[in-house]
Amino acid sequence: MTNDDYAIRTENLTKRYGRGILALDDVSIKIGHGEIVGYLGPNGAGKTTTIKILTNLLRPTSGHAYINGIDANRRPKETLCHIGALIEVPGVYDYLSPRDTLTYFGKVHGMKSRDIDDRITEVLKLVKLDDWENKRIGSFSTGMQRRFGIAKAIFHTPDILILDEPVLGLDPKGMRDVRHMIKDFQKEGMTVFLSSHLLEEVSLTADSVIFLESGKVVDEDTVENVVARIQSNRISVQFLSPLSPSDLARVQAIEAITDLTPKNGGIEFSFDGSPETSAEILAGIMTTGLKVTAFQPERGTLEDFYVSIMNGEGVR
Amino acid sequence: MGAFVEDIVSDLKNVYLMFRFETLKQVKRRRMLMVVIVALLLPLIFYVVPPAFDIDYPDTALSFASLNLGFITLLIIISGAIFAGDAITSEFEKKTGLLLFPSPQRGSTIFVGKYMAAVLATFLVVSLYYLITALEMAQIYGVGSVTEAMGKSYLLALIYSAAVVSIIYFLSAVLKRSITASILGFFLLMMIIPIVTSVISMVDVDPWWSVTHSAGLITDVLGVGTGGVFGPGGGPGEEGFGTGFSPDFYVGTTVMVAYAIGFFIAAIIFATRRRME
Repeated sequence: MTNDDYAIRTENLTKRYGRGILALDDVSIKIGHGEIVGYLGPNGAGKTTTIKILTNLLRPTSGHAYINGIDANRRPKETLCHIGALIEVPGVYDYLSPRDTLTYFGKVHGMKSRDIDDRITEVLKLVKLDDWENKRIGSFSTGMQRRFGIAKAIFHTPDILILDEPVLGLDPKGMRDVRHMIKDFQKEGMTVFLSSHLLEEVSLTADSVIFLESGKVVDEDTVENVVARIQSNRISVQFLSPLSPSDLARVQAIEAITDLTPKNGGIEFSFDGSPETSAEILAGIMTTGLKVTAFQPERGTLEDFYVSIMNGEGVR
Repeated sequence: MGAFVEDIVSDLKNVYLMFRFETLKQVKRRRMLMVVIVALLLPLIFYVVPPAFDIDYPDTALSFASLNLGFITLLIIISGAIFAGDAITSEFEKKTGLLLFPSPQRGSTIFVGKYMAAVLATFLVVSLYYLITALEMAQIYGVGSVTEAMGKSYLLALIYSAAVVSIIYFLSAVLKRSITASILGFFLLMMIIPIVTSVISMVDVDPWWSVTHSAGLITDVLGVGTGGVFGPGGGPGEEGFGTGFSPDFYVGTTVMVAYAIGFFIAAIIFATRRRME
């Protein structure tokens, strides 16, 4: 793939604030056109710094950031035409209405007045602010201001959308709406780069994820693979009636079972993780005559996975 | 060559769009209305109060103008502090820059547009003040009383306005808080520079470099001596906040132009280098 084949690409991106904090350490990422990529990491990991470099709000100490193959810090006027961005929690021009603000940004993006009018109606409807078109933004709630931020980001129909913690301050319904919106943007061919500290949230939207910790990329994979990687090698079993010590001993005797512990009236044990062994164990338990009501592999939570990645435990 | 011209045209368009957007903000925040009301009311005081207290108007039209325009520098400084004080710094302080800056335009076009909006808002206020004063002069002393000297004074007031806006705009580019830029700008021009100028002139050194000293030309050109100036500058040979030296017309004008251009350029350089960390 050539440089132009990526919507977003960074090359050994390093950012040091003053002489002290190393916010980004040699970060190289590649995001293809039309992908939704989650950029995950705890607060202070360097997610926003990366985004600010991509949008030319900051310059890197070394390395390069490219948008559609163009250097984002050397030719920002060209790259910013392609980007819609919602960064951190931006301030709003309190005294202006969504119409006033969007009209200005539409004109900066070279849109015609008529198109601006139509687009204002369209995007405000999309973010459910159509009844607030001419109201002062200063009177909006936090969630409404967030939705307005998204409206501003998508207003000029960019091909790359960069969203920094887009669901921050939104209620559950608002979060779901944003997820649906992002999926719709992808259908329209947009590339979405989504920063968040919520793995669960990102996994519901993104195709792949990049994990960032202390300014370094510590892992990256497709969401599908991440979900597969969090399968654990423990199984929990529930029975119709509580097990007696002799019942426990009979189950413990099954060869493939290790590390058996009673749990919530049933049992939990480890095995080698293969589906064949799992089937063998179930058959073994059934031959003991015990009445099984539930038999299920335990899954690690996304949260456990996230924490293990961030702790450098290498779940890879 | 074609791309270069296209680039210039696009930059000029962005300056104009920013100018309009900034002006819209000033209007919607009712700041413009506030300052315009002050610009309308102040000269009316000199027109309404004398008859109300049975006091005669000054003998000549230019004396009346000089009395009236004694407040113009105060109005210019208030205007500058209001329109330019938070123009740059608020984008960083209130984080509105996170919306504004990631847009396809040069930082310099944003800041030039903002400067133009602040300067033209101040010009509007000054023009209104002069218009009301001229109308009053015409009504009291006859249309012929509005002489060329008033025109000269008006032009000097516009030049001083540009200098004041540039200085406060520069403070807005370098300081972290809007309120600090506005207040420091106000006191710098109302008190600090005039005091320094006074002290310098007391030791018999001509403070020709002082922008507030040069602002004295605004009333000096009316040729009526001290006009009861409020604030910096003042007529020739006045006491107090003024100086024992009168600003030379050409030197004073050049000094004001130099402040306007110098601080404007410095503000643009500092503002474009400033980053949203």
